[in-house]
Amino acid sequence: MDKGITVRLTGTSVAETTRALATRLVELGRKVEVIEPAHAERMGGDSGAALACRLLSRNGVIVVCSYEGREPEGEWVEAEIDAHDTPEFAAEKILDGLAEAGVLALESSDYTPEEEEQIRKRLADLGYIE
Amino acid sequence: MQVRRAERVLIIGLDCATPQFLFGPDKFDLPNLEALRKRGAWGLLRSCDPPITVPAWACMTSSKDPGQLGIYGFRNRKDYSYDGMTTANGASVKEPRVWDILSRAGKKVAVVGVPQTYPVKPVNGWLTAGFLAPDKSVDFTYPKTLKQEVLESVGDYIFDVKDFRTHERDALLERIQDFMENRFAVVKHLLATKPWDFFMMVEMGVDRMHHAFWRFTDKNHPDFEPGNKYENVLRDYYQTVDKHIGEMLSLVGDETNVFVVSDHGARGMYGGVCINQWLIQERLLTVRDELTGLKRIEDCDIDWSKTKVWGSGGYYGRLFFNVKGREADGQIEPEEYESFRDEVIAKIEAMVDHEGKPMGNKAHKPEDLYKEVKGIAPDLIVYFGDLGWRSVGTVGFDSIYTFENDTGPDDANHDFHGIFLMDDRTGRGGQEMAGLQLMDIAPTVLEMLGVDVPADMLGRTIR
Repeated sequence: MDKGITVRLTGTSVAETTRALATRLVELGRKVEVIEPAHAERMGGDSGAALACRLLSRNGVIVVCSYEGREPEGEWVEAEIDAHDTPEFAAEKILDGLAEAGVLALESSDYTPEEEEQIRKRLADLGYIE
Repeated sequence: MQVRRAERVLIIGLDCATPQFLFGPDKFDLPNLEALRKRGAWGLLRSCDPPITVPAWACMTSSKDPGQLGIYGFRNRKDYSYDGMTTANGASVKEPRVWDILSRAGKKVAVVGVPQTYPVKPVNGWLTAGFLAPDKSVDFTYPKTLKQEVLESVGDYIFDVKDFRTHERDALLERIQDFMENRFAVVKHLLATKPWDFFMMVEMGVDRMHHAFWRFTDKNHPDFEPGNKYENVLRDYYQTVDKHIGEMLSLVGDETNVFVVSDHGARGMYGGVCINQWLIQERLLTVRDELTGLKRIEDCDIDWSKTKVWGSGGYYGRLFFNVKGREADGQIEPEEYESFRDEVIAKIEAMVDHEGKPMGNKAHKPEDLYKEVKGIAPDLIVYFGDLGWRSVGTVGFDSIYTFENDTGPDDANHDFHGIFLMDDRTGRGGQEMAGLQLMDIAPTVLEMLGVDVPADMLGRTIR
């Protein structure tokens, strides 16, 4: 089972960064749940949300939360969003941190063999190589 | 003079834009670039060795030399096998580039079409990949959503000119112009819609024009014919680029420092040296094939037990040595490597042209050119005739000289100096600057934007 954790976002552009982070986590094949303030209300407040974080994260889910009040239960980290960062870049910084913590592995993309051959032919056509 | 801090910095990269058309006695009439030159500073910008698109733009944007990057051209040896080559794409650039450093410092960046940016890496802003991206089916933008935005707002994203090696010049000219128009359309869309602090774009069409049309415009080229229908196409192309630059500058506002730079220049190419043919002649390379026609060296059956050196073609030459204990069937004793390399250098530099005149070739050891040598460098990097001749790897010619390019029409080679224009709003008034090099750009940009310059950058801040 994948290692779960709760990431609590603070700072500016929390909603946008939450969406960007959740999108990237899904792309990376991870189970994700988002707990925003409205969700916390439906759980009876911050204590319910904090418990939900523990229940989900211990089952391999990465919980992205932004409710205020009580700290999440279980393993969690706080990520303060830099006001100068785009939501997508803020999400990437958080992913880097999660990768360093061993929570997930980031993909390292490169050419497929077919793409490599396609580019080789293009470069030969352009005269850079033969 | 102190570096003037700027709210924003714009770099307009023109691949292969060459000084003689901007600064020389026969310069083109380019009002926007000329106005920029008169307001700011200008000069020649020394490229890296080799002066090739890859690795040059990566050197400029990382302020590292090719040896530090471990990138010696588009294709590099990935190991010491005889055929293990890999393409140097964005993933090959391990050093942070100026936009990576700015992103980490909280600056918003926009990057359009800079070579070696595919596969895309996250930036604090927006990036569209350069011409080493396969096609539009891949994720060629950051963030991914930018791809749809670009395609919807501009209609297309052209990575490069298709079917470049053709004698159908009219159609080729149209394709290069379409490529350029598309690039500027993307740039203007991002300039107008994104809140950037640093913007960099590269227009590749200038390079494609030089290679395709040089002989038609260079009166010194042996194949030049006065009055030919393409005589002014380079001038016209530069003027269209200049018009687009004028429109870009009208979009960026007064608090923007502006650079216009190229990664290398261009010059006439008069022929090719068939490097492997020469190695066969010198008994340093043996192929088992019966050579009744032209054949790529990669397709030849090389007798490695009788081969000490083989070479690659391109705008410069690369020689690889077959060293015992390093290559599988090495023939050069490791202790003889240096003396043998010196012998080969002497032979290359003593070569004469087809008329018996000294060619002025230069062969360089990588460790003499670079601060470090990472990855697997060629054993020698060779410039034939001060780049007036290209290196031809194909064998089967009846001479070591050829005046037909084995890859199709091409009349220009790269030159060591590109262009540099900078308006940093300090009232330099057309100051000519000397001694500039590619790697000076990144630290200068960082200082302008108030971001610490990493101590390991090789370039100096332009003041």
